Formats: sequence, C-alpha cells, structure tokens
Amino acid sequence: MSSRRPRSWQSSSASRITDEQINDLVSKLQAVLPEARIRRSDRVSAAKVLQETCNYIRSLHREVDDLSERLSELLASTESSSAQAAIIRSLLM
Amino acid sequence: MTISNGDGDSAAKDGRRERKRKRRAEPSLVKWKTEGEQKTYSSKLIEALRRVRRSSATGAASAATDHSRSRAVREAADRALAAAARGRTRWSRAILCGRTLKRRVLPRAGRPKPVGPARAAERSKPPALKTKARVLGRLVPGCRKLPLPSLLEEVSDYIAALEMQIRAMSVIAEALSAVGGAPSPAQTEGPM
Repeated sequence: MSSRRPRSWQSSSASRITDEQINDLVSKLQAVLPEARIRRSDRVSAAKVLQETCNYIRSLHREVDDLSERLSELLASTESSSAQAAIIRSLLM
Repeated sequence: MTISNGDGDSAAKDGRRERKRKRRAEPSLVKWKTEGEQKTYSSKLIEALRRVRRSSATGAASAATDHSRSRAVREAADRALAAAARGRTRWSRAILCGRTLKRRVLPRAGRPKPVGPARAAERSKPPALKTKARVLGRLVPGCRKLPLPSLLEEVSDYIAALEMQIRAMSVIAEALSAVGGAPSPAQTEGPM
C-alpha cells in the first residue's frame, strides 16, 4: 500500500524520531564544531547548533574556494614539472 | 584450507567481523584526521592538478580564465575528496555522480504534508529546526531529502572531510609557492 512512497516519508511515520535522539545527534554534531570544542554547554539549542553548522560549512566552502583560486594561480605560474615532483616527494616522505 | 595457527584464523575472522560491524555503524571521523589519509589525498589531488594544468595549457590558453581554472581546481579537489571517502557516504557518492544534481532545482510541487489528527501528535520537530535542517541539506551535496539523523551523520563526516581537504590544499599551496620562489628540492615537512 505505502510501498510506492519515497523513503523520506516513511521514516517520519514509521520510525518516530524522538526529541532525545535528535538532541543526542545534535550534541554529537556540536562536538565537531570548532567553537563548541572550547565551551561545551548544554544550553545551546538545537536550532543554534544547526545554524552554526550551516555557517561553518559555508566558511569551509569559502576557504576551499580561496585555496583553489590560489592553487590555480600557482599552477599557472609554475612551469617546471620538476617542482611538482619535488612537492610530491616531500609530501610522500 | 591453509594450515595456519588457530590464532591467526580467529584474528582474521575477528577483523572481518569488526569490519562488518564498522560498515553498518556510522562512518568513523577519525580517519579524516590521520596523516596517512591526508597524504593519500594530497597525492591524488596533485595528480588531478597536473591533469588540470595540462588541459588548461594545451587548450586555448587565452580562454582559460582564472575563474574557470579555479573552478576546475575546486571540482578536482572535491572529486578527489569524494574518492577518498570510498563511497561510504552519501555526499561522496553524490559528488562522484556529477555535480549537476546539486545545481538542478527539483520541482517541489509534490510535497503533500500528511496533516491529520494522528500525524499532528508525531510532529516532534518544530518548524524552525525543519527549515534549518533543509538549509543544511542543501549545503551538503546529495543530502536534500534526508531525514534528520542521517543528515547529521553525513554532515559531521562532510565537515571532517572538508577540514582535511583544507589542510591538504594549504600544504600543497605552501609547497608550491615556496618552490616557485626558491627552488629547494628537499623539503622535509612531514614528521617521520
């Protein structure tokens, strides 16, 4: 009967996700955030943690973008492949 | 049947059992912090960067704008990162399947909410959390329609992977800029 429904529905109706489960997962996520490593207070609400996570992921994306810009410039400038071979050697050692 | 010690056999079986358990359990976040994983990723990334450099050099050099080049670098880095995840997480599979999935705006016409007296009692997630979770799902590739528990697992793995990506890319950038300035062949950076 409900076999055709997408899974995202069945999860909310079949397995009730309790608040406790959510809080548990959110606290685990909070442990990954850089700020939370310093202060671990239980007063931080789940919504705040999610917000912080969004901001953190966005800042990580921005950093990756900046780094890839820098790398592309460096790639364009360095002509010799021996330089890259040296890098690989230094990284693998 | 190889004739070996009973200990060896049982140890191997335990290892296999442990591996099976780990596969079902959540993906371990520690691996993104190991030196070995970062080195593996760095070498993969360098290979990909070489390819990008070659393709941009042999192609129309004038047409290769800075933006398209950095875009190519970013995508190569992401694909290498997804490959390093070994397909265990949703975001890595989504990246490897092509990033068009992320750009395409799926029609949200068919989103019937099961509202009813029986369902209303189950609504344990306030709408504020729901919207934030949706925003989060959009940020992580391939995790839009994921229920909250799986989404949070994917997010923590994704964050750890991104951090490693940033570490590896900054190391490579430092090395490249240092080499570009003064050619020093032996750079012993990695701790033995």
